[in-house]
Amino acid sequence: MKVKALFATVIQVAFFILLSKGADAIAKWLNLPIPGTILGILVLFALLELKVIKLDWIELGSKWLLAEMLLFFIPATVGIVNYKSLVVHQGVAIAIVILCSTFAVMLCSGLMGQWFSAKQRSERP
Amino acid sequence: MIASVFWLVCTIAVYLLSKRLYRKYTRIYLTPLIVTPAVLLVAIALLKVPYPTYERGAGLLSDLVGPATIALAVTLYKHVKEMKRNAGAIIVSVCFGAVAAVLTTVGLSRLFGLSAPIADSLAPRSATTPIAMSISSHIGGLPTITAVATLVTGIMSMIMGPLVVKAFRIRTPLARGVLFGTSSHSSGVSKALEYDDATGSIAAIAMMVTAFVTLLAAPWVTSWL
Repeated sequence: MKVKALFATVIQVAFFILLSKGADAIAKWLNLPIPGTILGILVLFALLELKVIKLDWIELGSKWLLAEMLLFFIPATVGIVNYKSLVVHQGVAIAIVILCSTFAVMLCSGLMGQWFSAKQRSERP
Repeated sequence: MIASVFWLVCTIAVYLLSKRLYRKYTRIYLTPLIVTPAVLLVAIALLKVPYPTYERGAGLLSDLVGPATIALAVTLYKHVKEMKRNAGAIIVSVCFGAVAAVLTTVGLSRLFGLSAPIADSLAPRSATTPIAMSISSHIGGLPTITAVATLVTGIMSMIMGPLVVKAFRIRTPLARGVLFGTSSHSSGVSKALEYDDATGSIAAIAMMVTAFVTLLAAPWVTSWL
């Protein structure tokens, strides 16, 4: 059973790789203003909603890809070595920008959500 | 060639070990998100390895970013019921948050005298990493800076989020979910899941909506400002 699940995962991940390559090629070919991955998400979501693709067929592969997603970003993150002087000279400013902006985002979305919740509650008898 | 393969294996090994470490000692500063790149950066610096050598091998992992992003369609599909029930509220809240992210980032970057490419690299950082990176390269940012900024955003929000929730008495799953999902992508979703499943689902949906809103808003806001 375990071997079977492993095998299924590998096949399904291969499916996602093919889909990703295909979506990239099509986005480039049609000169779409969106990245290929977004096109891929939309197409796969539509196929799932329309029941052309069953969740069972791709669930294991998607689970593995999502669970290990962090690993795939590591090389890009390590690429920060190419920007040493930027980090040294502007790192603090960048950190402050991220901190303040993230706080602003939390307030905007959180308070907005809170307002909607209050409204929903008062509308319900 | 051998060096490149070595760094590929090394990256995976450090990642797996740091995951195990985190499972044993769950501390925020021990998250693999911080530990793995930190260990690798130190190793590369000590061994004086040029980045291209590292990238040739480990870069193979980057090829899985695209497929993993598309796998988010499954997340979207699984939570679509939650979405339909609260669509208006989620979309409006996320729009406010995601646009605020881009606006405040560009504004503050100006204030601190950061260059335009840096501001453009920071602007999409509330979206989930792969999407943030591709938006960044679309609008003239540097994807690596975006990857790091997105990671920093995730870490900051895991610390700051619960404090904001407490200080501003954010109580409902809807409000908490959009707060975490909009501000900090998958880190936010995992934090939201610590409250309850409903909050986690809303956060997952908010994360996806944020990606789309940022995709649409970022080019427009950055070119307009």
